[in-house]
Amino acid sequence: MTKRGVVTIGMILVGAVLMVWSYFVGAAPWCATGVECSNPRVEWAPALFVLGVVVAFSSALYYSIAKDK
Amino acid sequence: MPTRDMRQPLPMGVGSLTRGWAAVLALGVVGTVVGIVGYAVERTQGMVATGMRDLGTMQGATWGIYIALVVYFVGVSFAGITVAALIRLFRLDKLRGVARMAEVLTVVALILGALAIIVDLGQPVRGVINLFRYARPQSPFFGTFSLVISGYLFASLVYLYLTARRDAAVLARRPSRLQGFFRLWAAGYEDTPEQRARDRRVTFWLALAILPLLVIAHSSLGFVFGLQVGRPGWFGTLQAPAFVVLAGVSGVGHIIVLAAIVRKALGLGKRIGRDAFGWLGLFLLGLLATYLYFVVVEVLTIIYQPGVIEQRLSEALLSGTYAWLFWGSVATLVVPFLILAWMALTRTWRVGWLVTSGILVNLGAIGKRYLIVVPSQTHGQLLPYGIGSYTPSLVELAVTVGLFSLGAVLITLFMKVFPIVDLETEASTELEEVSA
Repeated sequence: MTKRGVVTIGMILVGAVLMVWSYFVGAAPWCATGVECSNPRVEWAPALFVLGVVVAFSSALYYSIAKDK
Repeated sequence: MPTRDMRQPLPMGVGSLTRGWAAVLALGVVGTVVGIVGYAVERTQGMVATGMRDLGTMQGATWGIYIALVVYFVGVSFAGITVAALIRLFRLDKLRGVARMAEVLTVVALILGALAIIVDLGQPVRGVINLFRYARPQSPFFGTFSLVISGYLFASLVYLYLTARRDAAVLARRPSRLQGFFRLWAAGYEDTPEQRARDRRVTFWLALAILPLLVIAHSSLGFVFGLQVGRPGWFGTLQAPAFVVLAGVSGVGHIIVLAAIVRKALGLGKRIGRDAFGWLGLFLLGLLATYLYFVVVEVLTIIYQPGVIEQRLSEALLSGTYAWLFWGSVATLVVPFLILAWMALTRTWRVGWLVTSGILVNLGAIGKRYLIVVPSQTHGQLLPYGIGSYTPSLVELAVTVGLFSLGAVLITLFMKVFPIVDLETEASTELEEVSA
């Protein structure tokens, strides 16, 4: 596989991991009672989720724009 | 020589400033200024300058026309990118002429949607920061605002940028005042067979990735209302699908109107032919039929043995305070349905009637969005408070005018810095030869 392909897939994976982690681990847990259900386990987890989306879609930019050697 | 080439106009009216264009821009700028003044009043006096008041004790509505506009603009964006993605996924060549304007419409509508949220917040900075800091995944707001406004806007920008790179590269070879801008956009694109193949792959996968993303995003916007169990009129399983379908209706209506304006202004009768309008008309007809079915189901549900609060709400909608808006909205959806059905049956797609239908469905969509947001707050109180009321203030109306005008300004400006319609392969080859 070319460097272009490797970096693109890497970016998609990093984006996906960021989205999954921030949604299921970093953000507030899926429960309805108690203070611990209200606050995220990691502050700014929603921002990390958005960052994941941005990184994943940026892979398309990299794949298209990166120059061939 | 560059001086000689400078005299040759760029295609699609890019760079050439006409009187008609200047008049539209001036009108848009005036409207935008009205909106800015309205927002300045709101910021100075506080939210009391709007018609919104607390639920219950103040017998008002905390979500008013701004939230109706958020839902409306995000809906418009949905159809834009859907149509653009479908065109590129299924190679619907007759619709290529409207692909880019659909992409531009998506980006502009999302920006307006984001601004409509901002103007609704008493403390916008705090609101935006806290959303990215504390939003809970269980809340539909997480999906709505993180996916719709951030991820989906970014994805749409990437899509627009990449699908327009080839045209940017063609225009960058030609001396003009915008050459540097085109060069920057092209980012080294040389239109080699490898690059074309790569671009096709990327746009295919992007389109494939964006479609599920936007269905999730729009469904979660419907869930903002549909999951509120204590709010008669909102709670229901139909909210999410109805949101998606009405989003399609308003967005396709917008594309039809925009396509007709561009076609007329740039003399693109062949590029955006009647068959393209026919396809859009059929698509709109299908979406309208589905949405009208939802409306019938909704009405039957609320009038069939309703509870006390549901009955109060249904009376307000069908024969009370909101009846004029409800039946007006239904009429502005039924009339275009009949027009489109008649054109589909006779197979005569008239652009004028399609534009009329596009405008009417958008009026209907705004009315329906307003009816989704407001009546459940004023007439759907489960707590023992009296019936409330909400009327948008002049400030809110000024901001509304400003948002629509800003949208017109952004699209008008885009038309002068970049072709709003894809350059045809032959046309771009011709341009390349001239430039050489």
